[in-house]
Amino acid sequence: MDVEKKNLFKKEQEREVCMIEVKEDELIRCPVCEAVNIDKGKENKCRRCGSAIYKHRTFQTEKSWAYLITAIIAYIPANLYPMLITKQFGTTEGSTILGGVLMLWEHGSYPIAAIIFFASIVIPVLKFLVLFYLLISVKYPLGKDRKVNKHKLYYLTEVIGPWSMIDVFVVAILAALIHLANIEIVAGTAATAFALSVFFTLLAAHAFDTRLIKENR
Amino acid sequence: MKLENEDALDDLVICHKCHTLHKEINIQDGSKACCRECGTVLYRYDSRLAEHGLALSIAALIFFALANFFPLVKIEILGHEQFITIPKTFVSLFDNGFYIVGLICSFLIFIFPLMIFSIYVCLFCLLKLRIGETLSKELLILLSHIMPWSMSDIFLISILVALVKLIGYAQIHMGIAFWALMVFVLLDLYMTRTMHISEIWMLRKRIFLKKNRKEKSA
Repeated sequence: MDVEKKNLFKKEQEREVCMIEVKEDELIRCPVCEAVNIDKGKENKCRRCGSAIYKHRTFQTEKSWAYLITAIIAYIPANLYPMLITKQFGTTEGSTILGGVLMLWEHGSYPIAAIIFFASIVIPVLKFLVLFYLLISVKYPLGKDRKVNKHKLYYLTEVIGPWSMIDVFVVAILAALIHLANIEIVAGTAATAFALSVFFTLLAAHAFDTRLIKENR
Repeated sequence: MKLENEDALDDLVICHKCHTLHKEINIQDGSKACCRECGTVLYRYDSRLAEHGLALSIAALIFFALANFFPLVKIEILGHEQFITIPKTFVSLFDNGFYIVGLICSFLIFIFPLMIFSIYVCLFCLLKLRIGETLSKELLILLSHIMPWSMSDIFLISILVALVKLIGYAQIHMGIAFWALMVFVLLDLYMTRTMHISEIWMLRKRIFLKKNRKEKSA
């Protein structure tokens, strides 16, 4: 009995030695498989899926900045060039994003006008601003004491971001559907620019390291 | 905080919305655990996750095939009839010379959804048969990389928006594929809501831990 007790005690002691001391803020979440990991400095590898956690995004925002700026540049021609070109009985008529929204509004289809307006103007601009704010705020102590939940902000941009693709899909559907001898709808240059812009904002959001928020909170 | 080894970290969960640390507890079958800060669902426990997942993903693949083979909508303008299918939408973009948009659209509405559900089927089959420890890992990693890029739900809303734009000009008939796509999107949403990817990781861990233990003892 005594021996057993001693053994147990020894085992307990050994276990005590094997224990790893971890601080709670050193725990990080793998962005790929969501496993909890211990932060070991610069080169982290997820213990479950093996993907590098901060290898190419080592506490830096350059990649995210690059994508964001590309997206903003692509957004300019997306608004200037026609999105949709209607060829009707020999006359060609192009409409930009804003023009299309205004036309829908004048025709009285308010909900659709609102959806398109939100999807292709409000959401991209909002996303640019939020990413801008997040990228600046992790570098400089901007809005540090204000009670803005940046994690929630980031999560929101990730969720609503893809919805700006609506306009591109609508153009694709219309262009595929209206293909008659007299009436034809063709996608315009803006469709390419807009699709690229959305694509790059999504990339920028994915490249943004959420851990930086935690660092700066 | 003290931990025995790194594997003990699996008992911890970090909320994906607000990054609060939680300790995982055992919960009843079919119930869910929520974050104490923001109320997001952290994980669920489903003892028949592999079976449910397999059934749902096969159903979704069938509906996806239906949605792609049959006409989505048919319109009538001035006596002319036109219809579209999902592949036709991006093929026509290619025909018109919009290669970039065509490529992006084909990936977002066709290739990624198809890949996701094929991966789901493979994954749940592997977990059900208890084989392929490394393969299931690779599949899970791939899955989490392409998950945010599937946009069939957005495509569905876009169809509706495009049709409302056409209401004054043409007669519109909904095709079979539209309803199939709707069911597919509902299944997709249901699966992403109820089967979080971390739960599949946990299931995989449980299954292969049990298997390895059995092999050791045998």
